[in-house]
Amino acid sequence: MIDKFAAWLRDSAQVLHDNAAYLTELDSAIGDADHGANLDRGFGAVVAVLDETSFGSVDELLKKAGMTLVSKVGGASGPLYGTFFLRFGTALAGAELTPVSIGEGLRAGVGGILARGKAELGDKTMYDAWAPALDAYDAVVASGGDLEAALTAAAEAAAKGRDATVPLEARKGRASYLGERSVGHQDPGATSTTLLLESAARTLA
Amino acid sequence: MIGIVVVSHSRALATAAVGMATEMVADGKRPSIVVAAGLDETTFGTDAVAVSEAIAAADSADGVLVLLDLGSAVLSAELALEFIDPEVAARVRLTSAPLVEGLVAAAVTASSGASLEAVAAEAERGLLGKQEHLGDGPASAEPAAVEAGQSVEVVVSNQHGLHARPAARLVGLVNGFDARVTVTDVDTGHGPVDAGSLSMVATLNAIRGHLLRFTADGPEADAALAAIQELATENFGDDEPARFPARLSAPTDGDNGGSGLDVAYGPAVLASGIVDVDGYVAGDNESARLEAAVEAVAEELRRLRDASPDLAGIFEAQLALLTDRQQLKEIREVLDRGASAVNVWQLVYDRLAERFEALHDAYQRERAQDVRAVRDRVLRHLTGTTEDSPIEVETEQPAILVVPELDAATAAMLDGHRFAGVAVRAAGATGHGVIVARSRGIPLITGIGDVDVPAGAVVAFDARKGSFEVDPVVEQVRATIAERVAEQEQAAAEAELPAVTVDGRTVAVLVNVGTVQDALAVRGADGSGLVRTELLFGERRTAPTVAEQVEAFRAVAAALPGKPITIRTWDVGGDKPLPFLPQEPEANPFLGERGLRAFRRQPELLRDQLEAVRQIAAEIPVHVMFPMVTTADEVAWALDELGPRPEGLKVGIMIEVPAAALRVATLTTDLDFVSIGTNDLTQYITATDRTNPAVAALADGLDPAVLQLIDHVVRNAGVPVGVCGDLASNPQAAVILAALGVHELSTIAPQVPLVKARLREADLRLIDTAAVLAARDGDQVRALL
Repeated sequence: MIDKFAAWLRDSAQVLHDNAAYLTELDSAIGDADHGANLDRGFGAVVAVLDETSFGSVDELLKKAGMTLVSKVGGASGPLYGTFFLRFGTALAGAELTPVSIGEGLRAGVGGILARGKAELGDKTMYDAWAPALDAYDAVVASGGDLEAALTAAAEAAAKGRDATVPLEARKGRASYLGERSVGHQDPGATSTTLLLESAARTLA
Repeated sequence: MIGIVVVSHSRALATAAVGMATEMVADGKRPSIVVAAGLDETTFGTDAVAVSEAIAAADSADGVLVLLDLGSAVLSAELALEFIDPEVAARVRLTSAPLVEGLVAAAVTASSGASLEAVAAEAERGLLGKQEHLGDGPASAEPAAVEAGQSVEVVVSNQHGLHARPAARLVGLVNGFDARVTVTDVDTGHGPVDAGSLSMVATLNAIRGHLLRFTADGPEADAALAAIQELATENFGDDEPARFPARLSAPTDGDNGGSGLDVAYGPAVLASGIVDVDGYVAGDNESARLEAAVEAVAEELRRLRDASPDLAGIFEAQLALLTDRQQLKEIREVLDRGASAVNVWQLVYDRLAERFEALHDAYQRERAQDVRAVRDRVLRHLTGTTEDSPIEVETEQPAILVVPELDAATAAMLDGHRFAGVAVRAAGATGHGVIVARSRGIPLITGIGDVDVPAGAVVAFDARKGSFEVDPVVEQVRATIAERVAEQEQAAAEAELPAVTVDGRTVAVLVNVGTVQDALAVRGADGSGLVRTELLFGERRTAPTVAEQVEAFRAVAAALPGKPITIRTWDVGGDKPLPFLPQEPEANPFLGERGLRAFRRQPELLRDQLEAVRQIAAEIPVHVMFPMVTTADEVAWALDELGPRPEGLKVGIMIEVPAAALRVATLTTDLDFVSIGTNDLTQYITATDRTNPAVAALADGLDPAVLQLIDHVVRNAGVPVGVCGDLASNPQAAVILAALGVHELSTIAPQVPLVKARLREADLRLIDTAAVLAARDGDQVRALL
């Protein structure tokens, strides 16, 4: 399973690199035009760590990824995604990796994002993608679906949540300074979250 | 010295800001300032790990203050706290202070060795200077536009300043006009603030004697200012004599008031005072829910206001607190972002209550109770727990309501048929609820503390004795009630008869006069033992002329025809400001230039007053006395200022200072009498600030130490001794004072008949004064009575 999580991080790094210009463009409309570059730098650093280090457990791997993002991303998504991976890893420590435990781990990670960012649903943040994704994931698992099905449903729900951020007025982060002018733009954070989950659906299951 | 960490996206910005800040501080005194900024020299970004390392580097036992720029700086700094030793994290404070201004203020303050809290507070005020200069601060944003308007200036003449009730009248008035009005306290320089917001006006803390400047613009600016002036001349609707209404008569028809006694018993009905909000679930439209709750409470308060004209001011004040536009604006903003109405309402009103509690004046501090009452009424509506209100409880016999504190609405709605009395756990005699209960004649005791009372257990209290009992002997309580009822009836019937004790001593019972109304209202007084001249002219900002003073003294005397009045010269300082005698702030005003002391350097005002005393003494029997005397030199100086005494003018001093009490014999050689001011004497003997609720209980006038000193004064004065402090107004204490040999008692107006009646029943030969003086404490003295 360690290999699969490593593959997820590598794939995510690649996808974020390919989409860096797109994310930055989204961010330039309502933020400080650094989201793509920041995540590319952060996940690039994570890949470098994966190249150099071998990990004995998934939780160690995720926690190291989290610390790397905290240090290397630079923008608000650093502490947010960093906290996500730190708590995701902590939740998985010692646990048998099943669709249920992974779902719980995801929820713990997103709990960290909320604790850190204090966002609420509809604030036009990455949480607007995470929240429906977690619900969709849990619904599939509850009806007996496997990890692939759950992650696929999560990624689809995240994409819907991402699209739903377009008409919202931003209430968090630098975009909130724009007030009404943030309406009509897709949230970059919700976009990168969707990319991460789509990557997970491809690589983790 | 605390350490400082600067978190920024840009290393260049942080480094330059540190440069600006350290320029302000001498080399040897610089606090440690560590930067965690940028991912490298040129890449913008923040790094939680770098922040945690910077905190470790700046750490000191005194703490670390972290200043941040924005966005991820805040998130990274918060995350950094999770990476460091919890013991260190506990002494780290992240501040919302502006980075550059806050850092400069923090560096300067920290270099003085100030605490983390003090440095953080200074940093947070970092924007003030700029805001004041540019006039665009949050508090002054609106008022700035009014600068071009017209102004009027008025003086606050209310005893307790512009506290919640008069402030509410002002706010209500201002909001009735199509005008924007701001108010500035010229004496403190505070303001301008929105005169239409109660939270802003009341926390301006304008005390008596302060000059307020009102500025208005808008279509009805003229009318608004005129109305404000008018209101100011009416003390902002603050009817001073009604502040402590006490009555002997039965409650008026239609008011289910209480027995008017100070003793009661019944099964206890407990109210926790805490509204249970746990079950509340926030919905989609919290704003609308809150608005409905606020409107429902407003309707209740308006009903209460209209039902009891005497108490209308109290509910008017609560209404203004409820509908304060400043608060509501803040609340709506947060609710619109999806917060729970219960949480936000509670938070905002808790904060407002804290603001009141931080005010200087003890009376104003008690207004926090009104804020909490309003808070809880709305919370009860929001959570739908109104039906559970303890005062709606049905009981088989009249009950005793036991509450943590008593709010005015509860006191006003309490059905006197169902409730025999109220026991309040909190101490304090000036809460609005207490005032309302008293005015309705509801038996009341305050300050019972956290005594364990099982719900439904029969309890009894006797406010006169200060006793509260669970499971009392009901027959005894009934007997006491019967006694008190008889006493009350008799006292009213016999008010005009002299107070002659069973053993044949006649004790003069006089009235304390602060306004002419006191002298007019009293029944049975043998004169006035205390005319508080500083209150007679309290509303004046300029000193009254000699002729005006003569006129005022004449009016008091006319209300007490043929009886002597005792004029006390200006008693200022301590808690009594005199508008026309400005005094420098003192570190310890009760130990400062009070009373006579205030005139040694500038005797003109005193000279005018003594001239008025000499003139009126030619017409009517007058005594004059000087307050706050300590030494024989002061007596000699005062007599010198008085000059030749007209025939019949008796001259005395007040005994308030322990030194004066101890050496009374050396002070009275040229005097005709002394009068003991027991409030101050008690305060000085027990070293207790009576306005400080934390220690006020120590200031017990029946403390044997106080009685011993009174006994000493009576034995050694060589002249007649009177008592004009609160102790004389307490019928029980009055008997002890008489037994100790005090000749005259001067009481508050409503107590004169009661004190006289109690003295008539007393046989002073049977009072064991030796046992009283040897008692262990005030409680033992009360037990002996």
